[in-house]
Parts: sequence; C-alpha cells; structure tokens
Amino acid sequence: MIDPTSIPGEEKAASLAKIIVPAAIFIAIAILPFVLKNRFYLSLINEMMIFGLLAMSLDVLLGYTGLLSFMHNAYLGIGAYIVGLFLIHVSPTSLWLACFVGVIATSLIALPVGWVQVRTGGLAFALLTLAFGMMFFTIVWKWYSLTGGDDGLMGVPSPEVHLFGWHLGNTGDPAVMYLLTLFVVSSCYVLTRRIINSPFGAVLGAIRENEERASFVGINVRRYKLYGWMLACILAGISGALFILYKGYIGPTTMSAFAGAGILMMVLLGGMGTLWGPLVGSAIFIYIQDYISTMTEHWEIYLGLVVIFLVLFMPKGFVGLGNYLKRLRKG
Amino acid sequence: MGGTLSTAVDIVLNSLVLGSVFLIVAVGLNIIYGLSRVMNLAHGSLYAIGAYTGYTLVASGLNYFAAVLIAPIIVGLLGLILERSVIAPMRSRSMVYTLILTYGLMFLLDGLIKQIWGNEPRFLDLPQFMRATVPILGSHYPVFRLVTLLITAAVMAALMLFLGKTKIGMALRASSTIPEMVSCLGINMNNVHIGAFVLGCMLAGVAGIIAGPLTTIDPIMGHEMLISSFVVIVIGGLGSLRGAVIAALLIGAVQTLAEFFITDLAMVIIYILMAVILALMPRGILGEGKFE
Repeated sequence: MIDPTSIPGEEKAASLAKIIVPAAIFIAIAILPFVLKNRFYLSLINEMMIFGLLAMSLDVLLGYTGLLSFMHNAYLGIGAYIVGLFLIHVSPTSLWLACFVGVIATSLIALPVGWVQVRTGGLAFALLTLAFGMMFFTIVWKWYSLTGGDDGLMGVPSPEVHLFGWHLGNTGDPAVMYLLTLFVVSSCYVLTRRIINSPFGAVLGAIRENEERASFVGINVRRYKLYGWMLACILAGISGALFILYKGYIGPTTMSAFAGAGILMMVLLGGMGTLWGPLVGSAIFIYIQDYISTMTEHWEIYLGLVVIFLVLFMPKGFVGLGNYLKRLRKG
Repeated sequence: MGGTLSTAVDIVLNSLVLGSVFLIVAVGLNIIYGLSRVMNLAHGSLYAIGAYTGYTLVASGLNYFAAVLIAPIIVGLLGLILERSVIAPMRSRSMVYTLILTYGLMFLLDGLIKQIWGNEPRFLDLPQFMRATVPILGSHYPVFRLVTLLITAAVMAALMLFLGKTKIGMALRASSTIPEMVSCLGINMNNVHIGAFVLGCMLAGVAGIIAGPLTTIDPIMGHEMLISSFVVIVIGGLGSLRGAVIAALLIGAVQTLAEFFITDLAMVIIYILMAVILALMPRGILGEGKFE
C-alpha cells in the first residue's frame, strides 16, 4: 500500500528502515525467552502474539476487503476446539497433524457460512457474522458431551515440538511455546503481507473502495469476498491452534460476543488496514485488560466507552495518531 | 388431560405472541435503518432497558397499563440523548464506523444495566386479572399473553395509520426513498433522523415492557432479542416493514415449534432456516428498502 504521508526524498531511507525495523523487533522478541526469567511476562507476550494474529486476520477482512465481522473469535474457538479434541481423542503426540486437521476443519466450517454471507449486502454480512457467531457459541455451550459445555475443554495433552528436524521441547514449556508462536505468527505475517500486496490484494482493495465499480471492470465480487473471508478464517484457525497449545484449555467465553468486541477493539486501537497495527493493538489491549480486570468488575462499561471514544475521535487508531503527529511535525 | 387440540392452540398462540415481540423490535430497527441508514446494535439493550424500566415502575406501585405508556417514553428520551450525542456526528462517515460505535454503545448500556439493576433476574408483577387463564378450545391460556397480542395489534395499527394516512407519515415514507428530494421540498432531514431514532427506541421500549411478563428480565435478554431481530430483518429484507411482519411471524412460529420438539438447540434450526432462505433469496423475502 502506498503511504500518502511519505515524502519522495525520503524513500530510500524509508525502504531500508522498512527492512531493518521489523527485523530488529523480531530479533528482540526472539531473544526474550533466553534473557527474561519471569515466566508471567513470557506468557503475556505469547498471548499478545496469538491474539495479534487473530486481530490481523480480522484486519484482512475489515481493513482490506471492507467487510465487518463481529465475532471473528468464533473461528479461533472452532480451531482451538478441533485441535484440542484431536489431541485428546485421536493422537496426543502428533502436533503438526492436529494443527493441520484443525485449520482444514475450520475452513470447511467457514466455507458454507461465508458462502451465505457474501451473497447478501455489506451490512447484512456484518449482521450475519454476529448471528452465526452466536450460533457457534450456543452449540459449544450446549453440546456438553463433546465440548464440556460451561466447564470448557480440559486436559488437552501437550505434544513435543519438532521443527525442521530440531527437537525444541514440549509445548507445556512456556519458552518453547513462545518460540513456536513467534515462528508461526511471523511467518503468517510475512505470508499475509505478501498476499495483500499481490494483485489479489489490489482486487480486495477495489471491492472495499467501490463494489459496483469493481464489478463493472469484471471482478466477481462475491467470489473475491469469499476468498478474503476464507483467508481471514484460515488465519483465525491457525491462531486457535496456537491458543489451545498455549493454554491447554478453552472455554465458551473465548467465543462470546464480548470477546469478539475485544478483537474488534484491538484492530481499531492499532489502526485498520495496516496489518501490523492490529498486532500492536492486541499488545496494548491485552496489557490494559490484564491491568484493569484485576481492579474493576465493570470492565464492560469501560470497554463500551473506549470503543465509542475510538470511533468518534481516533478512527485510524494509534497508527493514524502517529501519522497525524508526523504530519504535524513536518508542517 | 390436555389433548392434541389444546396443545395445538397453545403452540399457535405462543408463536403469535413470540412473533409479535420480534415484530415490534424488528420494525423499530427497520424504521431507524430505513430513514437514517443507521443499524442500531444497541437496540437489544434499549429493549432490555424498556423491560427494566417497566419492572421498576410496576414495582413502585404504578398500574401495568400506565407503565406500558410511560416506559417507552423514558426509553425514547434516552434515545434522543444518544442520537444527539454520539449517533449524529457519525452521519457522514462510513457504515462500518456506525456499526462499531453502536456495538460499543451496546456494551456501555449493558454495563449500566448491570450496575443499576444487578445480575439477578427480575419478575414483573402483573395485576390479578391478567394472571388468570381463559379457556380457548380446551386450552387454559394466560390472559397476559392475549393482552400482549392486543397491545401489539394496537401499536402496529397506530403505526400503519401514522405512516399511511398522515402528512408526516407520507414525508417519512418519501424520505426513505429519495432523501435529497424531500429535503429540497423544505423538510428538515435532521429532524427526520432524530424522529426516526426516537420512534425506533420507543418501539424497543414497548417491546421490552410487553415481553417482561413473558420471560424473566435479566441483563442478557437484550442480546438474545438483538440476534433474533437481526434474523427477522435480514430474512424480511433490510428496511422492509412488510417483510419484517412476515419474517417475524415465521420466526416466531419456527422457534416455538423448535422449542416444543427439541429444547436445547432450537436456535440452530432458526439459523439453518435463515441460511436456506438467504441462499435462495439473498435480499430477503420482500427485497431491501421497501418502506411501507
């Protein structure tokens, strides 16, 4: 995407910075488990990365295709439940097979839902994501014999991690899980960035800007919307697989509308349409949530107020705020 | 001994009652959407506030029917405040922002409900004669459910007369189709937007107070109603009032039947029905935006 705030003379320096800065951040995060001895912060950052991936997948839908999904966390939940059930009932040791099955099954569930959703207009699409999300929540909540209902899915075994022939250790070890999450999330980020910058991404952008015009130049709008939806749901399924490996437990609250609003807020907080913004947004959100939820029980009121504030005054999130300050400094 | 006839009568009447509550909520949503293109996700919470206000009014010794008149006015005033403070500034922005904003509003209102009335369920106290039952074809049917039907019929008749026969109603119907033209004819669209939002909120309040005796009043009643009314307006066609009538009665009947035969996963049947209808008719039964 072309940044409208960039200034021509600075392009060379900017392109160099575009490689160095992410690489520096990546290395800094990667060496953290070897330096940091506090396991609590390690798990917190791990959670930030997992939800960052989910927020990023919602950004593919919201910021790049212009479609709003209220309960994207439903697909994290579906992925997590399937991977968990596979590890419990089928094979407790095969990590990659479980993840593969989880992601494929998530996309098979998302496909018919998406097929119905893209046939309706943009607004009905958003309402339907909420309706179908509530349906999945109800199913998980009520199907006690399979999912454990209210109590959630417990006793998920932690398999050994083998990566490119290396034996990293057990997913029960926070440092191992941390490195696995970092590897998966960063590869998903690079891959998604590549997809978004391809002609396919440009088609999605065209649909976001003007659906009618896009269809006049011969784009099959419904089909590309469905592709965008499937990409977002596959990424959400991957984040679900990471979630269950990291926590070893999942309950229906992870799939609730309340949690869905949290994901939406991560995207808004970071700035939609930037891909890395939601990763930052989720880090901020999870840090604040961890901090506030220990102090107050009226978290719902604050969540509502912050969402209203963000939409009214900071519609482009912190990224927008940064760009605004940059413009201000340069006059 | 009940017999099949009385069970059938029960099911038919129950589905009408459920459908009529869906109808009032969905028509309120559709009026706001049809006139000002705002999809109000806080509508379910306003419905819950209507029920809680009704509960408080009745508990403080007011007559039930007086409460039915006063509670919607309170919800309407709340709607006026919300429209002026947060909804109106969003008018020029994209639909996505309005949706997210009203979603935030939903959490704020739900949080306030829990703050004011607490988490435990409440029960609306009905006058003596409404708690009795009347025999209809061998079934003993509670009077308050029939009263619910009467109130719905009265509200819908008043709404139809208002939209169909009065000058203001005509202007409203016109502004749902060509707002630019109507504003050129000297009608202040800003007032139309405010009026539509307040009217929609009042309808949510009415629905809340008539639904109060049917179920328990709890903080999540709004969520369930919000989802059901989405299903209704999407099936009926966004902004289509007649579509909402058909869809509300259909969903009311299907949900009552599903709850009668399979208890736990009744909602799933509704979603499957919705998916089938939308696969065949993506714009809903009557198409979008037929505001009459």
